[in-house]
This record gives sequence, C-alpha cells and structure tokens, in this order.
Amino acid sequence: MKLIIGGAYQGKLDYAKKHFDVREAFFCSQERAELDFSKEAICGLEQFALACVKSGIEAKDYLREHRQLLEDKVLICTDISQGIVPIDMQQRAMREMTGRALVYLAQEAETVVRVFCGLGCRLK
Amino acid sequence: MHVFISGGCKNGKSFFAQETAKKRAQERGAPLYYIATMIPADEEDEARIRRHVREREGWGFITIEQGMDICGALEYADSDGVFLLDSVTALLSNEMFGRPGGLQPTAGEKVKGELLEFVQKTGDAIFVSDYLYSDALQYDELTEGYRKALAGCDRALVRVCERVVEVCYGTCFEFK
Repeated sequence: MKLIIGGAYQGKLDYAKKHFDVREAFFCSQERAELDFSKEAICGLEQFALACVKSGIEAKDYLREHRQLLEDKVLICTDISQGIVPIDMQQRAMREMTGRALVYLAQEAETVVRVFCGLGCRLK
Repeated sequence: MHVFISGGCKNGKSFFAQETAKKRAQERGAPLYYIATMIPADEEDEARIRRHVREREGWGFITIEQGMDICGALEYADSDGVFLLDSVTALLSNEMFGRPGGLQPTAGEKVKGELLEFVQKTGDAIFVSDYLYSDALQYDELTEGYRKALAGCDRALVRVCERVVEVCYGTCFEFK
C-alpha cells in the first residue's frame, strides 16, 4: 500500500500516475461511505471521510476491515489538517475523521509521500 | 538561478527570500531589485507597506512597484540583476480581483504565462508564494477558483525553478 498526501491542487494524482504506474483511479464521493477497489488508486479519501461522517461510521474502522483489499493500492488524500477549525460541525468532524484515517493508513503503508507543488517528498 | 519559496503565513519566507537575494546579488555584483506587488486598498495596507519598507532598509534593494503585468517591471530594471518577487499570491489577487472590470476568471493562466516569461527573461529571480492548500474549510466558488489558480502558478514555477524551498518557521526544506 502506498499513501500520497498533500494540499489541494498539488498534483497528487499526477504524481501517482508518474511514479506508481497508476492508470485509473476511483474518486470517492461524499455521498457514498463505500470504496470501490477495482482501480489501482483510490482518490479523495477526505470525501470518503465526509461520507462516513454523514453515515455515522468511522472511516478508519472501514479501512481496517478492508485492509487486505488495500494491499496493492495507491491511496490519495488531501491534507486538510492545517487550517482554521471549521465552524460547521460536519466539516469539523470530517477533518478529524480524515486525520484518524490517515494516521492508520500511514502506519500500514510501506510508502508515504507528501506532494508539494507537484514535487514529492518521501516521508516513509 | 531561479528560486521558488513557499510555506505558511508568518513562517519567515520573506526574510529567507531577502537573504537569498542579497547574497546572490553580492556574489555576482549585480543590482538587487525588490518587486513590490501589494496595491494598497486602505490604511491597514498602507501601514503594512510602511512596515515592509522599513524592514528592507539597508538591504540595498531597488524597489519597483508592479502589482500587475509583472513583466512590466523589467522595463525599469537591468534584466541581468537579481529580482525578488514577493508575492505570487498578491500578484494573482490583483490580477483576478483588482482590475476595474471586476473579476477576471482567466487571471490564473495570464499570471502563469507572464511568470514563465519573467523566468525566461531573467537569470536570477526569487519568487515567494503562500501555501494555502491544507485547509478543511469548504470555500465558495470564487475563493476555490483563486486557490486553484494560485496552485497552477506555483506548480508552473516549480517546474522551471532550479531551487524549490518550503520555509517552515524559519527552517527550510529543500525540495529541489
């Protein structure tokens, strides 16, 4: 499992395509608290976290239950942890749920890359 | 050499950029230019500019005020000099929101093109931008459009700059 994080619009998916041989990606939706494991990459995990908030489930637990299916995947998530605490309760919950999921994924992943303006920095 | 510097607010980007620019100009014996991009809108801005001008005193910068059409700065300067452009953020904001005709949705492409042209026309330039991409707030379309356009400018500069630095509270991470 590989994990790519970074701010919005930083070129995370482009990086995955270039360095990890990703051809197709599943894009998470904030309306669906389920992942599709049929593509090489899963993109926008923060949206999945929002879907989990709306459905009352814990994203980290879902990921742990599907750990085997993540083994050969590239997971991509926007780092939304470094701004102002959102005043909206749902956005606040999404931000925290994303953080908990990323701590778990970063532990499990063999590679963790942070993308900054298109350039990658390997954290693990 | 072209250098791209970014990082969070009040992390020491400008100071690091000024030091880098000054050192480069001294090494080469070249003129040192500061491209001031802020167009003051009120007294708060005026005070900020006065503070910045005071902070730059004694550094040897020749200040060029150029808040839009960035390559215009080269009309008043020796293109062989060392340029410090602080900041890409303000430049894009002026181009996108500060024109008399109102919002310019294609300002991102314009600024990106002009910055690349600026790189081509100069030998030494330092660009300062702001890393404002790790926020959880869901913004309105206007703000989101601005963030996306700024990221486009940043990434274009990163591709052509020989050195890329993230400043984090005064310490630096060299990406390139």
